[in-house]
Amino acid sequence: MAGVRIEYQEELETLEASTLGGLDLASAALARTMEAVEHQDVELAEMVVADDDRIDGRYLEVHQSLIALLATQSPVATDLRLISALLHILKNIERMGDQCVNICKVIPMSGHEPPADPEMLKLILAMGGQTRTLIAQAKRSFEDRNVEMARDLVRQDDVVDNLNRECFQLALEIGDDADRREWAMTMLLAGRAIERIGDNAVDIGEQVAFIVTGLFREFEDASRPS
Amino acid sequence: MFGAASTKRDAEESTSADPAPPAAPAAETAAPAPASEVARGAKTVEAKNVDLFYGDFHAVEEVSIKIQPNRVTALIGSSGCGKTTFLRALNRMHELTPGAYVKGEITLDGEDMYGSKVDPVKVRRLVGMVFQAPNPFPTMSIYENVAAGLSLNSRRMKKSDKDAVVERSLRGAHLWEEVKDRLDKPGTGLSGGQQQRLCIARTIAVEPEVLLMDEPCSALDPVATLAVEDLIAELKHRFTIVIVTHNMQQAARASDTTAFFNLERSGDPGRLVEVGPTEEIFTKPKQKATEDYVSGRFG
Repeated sequence: MAGVRIEYQEELETLEASTLGGLDLASAALARTMEAVEHQDVELAEMVVADDDRIDGRYLEVHQSLIALLATQSPVATDLRLISALLHILKNIERMGDQCVNICKVIPMSGHEPPADPEMLKLILAMGGQTRTLIAQAKRSFEDRNVEMARDLVRQDDVVDNLNRECFQLALEIGDDADRREWAMTMLLAGRAIERIGDNAVDIGEQVAFIVTGLFREFEDASRPS
Repeated sequence: MFGAASTKRDAEESTSADPAPPAAPAAETAAPAPASEVARGAKTVEAKNVDLFYGDFHAVEEVSIKIQPNRVTALIGSSGCGKTTFLRALNRMHELTPGAYVKGEITLDGEDMYGSKVDPVKVRRLVGMVFQAPNPFPTMSIYENVAAGLSLNSRRMKKSDKDAVVERSLRGAHLWEEVKDRLDKPGTGLSGGQQQRLCIARTIAVEPEVLLMDEPCSALDPVATLAVEDLIAELKHRFTIVIVTHNMQQAARASDTTAFFNLERSGDPGRLVEVGPTEEIFTKPKQKATEDYVSGRFG
């Protein structure tokens, strides 16, 4: 029976697209955040903070529409899992935006001096770049409903985690200079925030697996190190 | 809009009969219709302080509601709460029950449906009704079923004009492709869902402005139900639609506005408790009784 409940189907597709569009906003926010970190650009950092309203607005709007769809269309099976996944993912996206804000808020703390340690900065920027790759892969795996690609996010996220550990080591060896130490501390905070963004991307992958398999599982449990 | 009342009206139950000349758009060669009948586009139905009685029994109390044009309004509520009684008052079918009467005002685009000079048969043509059990006329073919309202007019239509109206109506009811090669076959030979769409085609053939539907899908299987709901979503662009339904999920899916009727106690008159955008009624209703009903917590 072709063409039944077309409006409902189209609405669901629109909401999925809006949600994934939110991922693009988060990725763009991360890109500008890394630029602000690299150049100690306080103005750019302030813009990222202000723009986070767009991500929050997207979250609220799509969330409300999904609730309305749940109430009025009685979705079941895959539709229901999709809507549940989109509600989760919206939260992940909102958190990603907030983490970018957290990073941008510590940039003025390190002052307008050039960064203290080029090696540590390189690691942070590498983390940012790798996390953007993670976000893009999470989005793609969702669009394609590709569980293998989603599972691979764990491996990609491990790269970010390893870079973060290296960062930590460098911070330990940064020396006694107060300005350098302060800068290193803010970079550690930034690294932590980027690492959280990566974790949110992995969570999106877990939602992909939920939609496809119906099973809600963590890809790997952080409380039980492998 | 309604024209003068004729003297021989009372006992006639009709979905489409109208002996006086209509302004049927398909009859191009017909003489121009009287001015009182050409005013089209009347689509808002408004009830003001309406009470409905069956003799001494007060069935519905103090209903005021404005039914918006080109929208689907669903009337929901438990059995016996007066929603079907109210629906039938909207096209003057309530009064066909002996002893039944209406107090208050019901207007169609501002004009009183119950005015002393108003012909109820004309009201019933402008405000069409589709019933719960599909009821194609058993002795008629598919074609004759759709054309029944046109055929009952005293003005003759050219065959080609009638053919055009039948095709348009069947297309409008999403039935044309399925029946175009068997228009002369009996209407009763179709499936339940097709019969109901045939009844819809029959109703829209006389170009009403409002469609009333009394649980139109309760006799249909889920697939046929969704097909009729999709049809309703399209028809609302042409008509104002009011649908009584026991099926809350249907009200949630298919309507723009939902009106919740309720009884305090058995024997009390039904009242309109809450009316609002369907999305709001099902996500954040204002009245507790509404919340209890839509979440199925009703005793």
